Amino acid sequence: MLWEAIGFYSLAFFLIFFAYKTITAINPIHSALYLVLTMIGLAAVFYDLGAHFIAGVQLIVYAGAVMVLFVMVLMLFDLRAELRAFSRGLFSGMLKIISAGLLAGIFFAGSDSSIAILDTPAAAPSADVSRQLGILLYTKYLYAFEALGVLLLVVAVGVVAVSRIKGGTHARH
Amino acid sequence: MPGIEALMHIGIKHYLFLSAILFSFGMLAVLLRRNVIVMLMGIELMLNAVNLSFIAFAKESGSLSGHIMVFFVMTIAAAEAGVGLALAVAIYKKFHELNIRFFEHLRG
Repeated sequence: MLWEAIGFYSLAFFLIFFAYKTITAINPIHSALYLVLTMIGLAAVFYDLGAHFIAGVQLIVYAGAVMVLFVMVLMLFDLRAELRAFSRGLFSGMLKIISAGLLAGIFFAGSDSSIAILDTPAAAPSADVSRQLGILLYTKYLYAFEALGVLLLVVAVGVVAVSRIKGGTHARH
Repeated sequence: MPGIEALMHIGIKHYLFLSAILFSFGMLAVLLRRNVIVMLMGIELMLNAVNLSFIAFAKESGSLSGHIMVFFVMTIAAAEAGVGLALAVAIYKKFHELNIRFFEHLRG
């Protein structure tokens, strides 16, 4: 139990530190790289929770594909020193931080007071979680899976159409 | 004040607290930063925090539906990142700037 606690708290510290660095780094490239580290830490947390397949997908899709996409797009832009990385206004900034803290507090209090309602686990998932996940994905959730495939096709075509757009805003005809 | 025993026994509550902290950090990134790409990163951080709570609940209830939901959320998040970055590229081509304050000049 002691080692479990040490592992959890070190992972939590890792995650919170890199999430903090993500939102405070002035250079967007640094933000993206800190976010990659956050994603890797989350993959470790997923592995710790027994979701081995999801941990692998997290590493491949997020840390591998989505964040590389972010970094590539950032490299397309001219990265001057950014003068206005943060929103203006000390008072409104404090209000935003307080509102985010209040939201986290609501989550804390809600989960703290309502966690006892949960049913006790009937049976912990056995060792071959990935196998059961595949069976579930292709039987019970088959239609949702196919709909996601169609959605990804539409999004791929739409992204190409949007990025080849001519004119649009402020176009002179 | 929780005892040392409650702190050392890692349960679902600790993972939910971690998820809440990460979600509020993502929300702060969207609220405080003015760069569109960094705001999109904040959205990704929020989606990942929700994924963490899905996985924690899936472990607690012994059901695998949470894993399926996380899989779907990841797919949608990848699609959303693609569309958002394409819009950012389209807007950068026009304004040569990615600050959100230019977006109020959009028309047509």
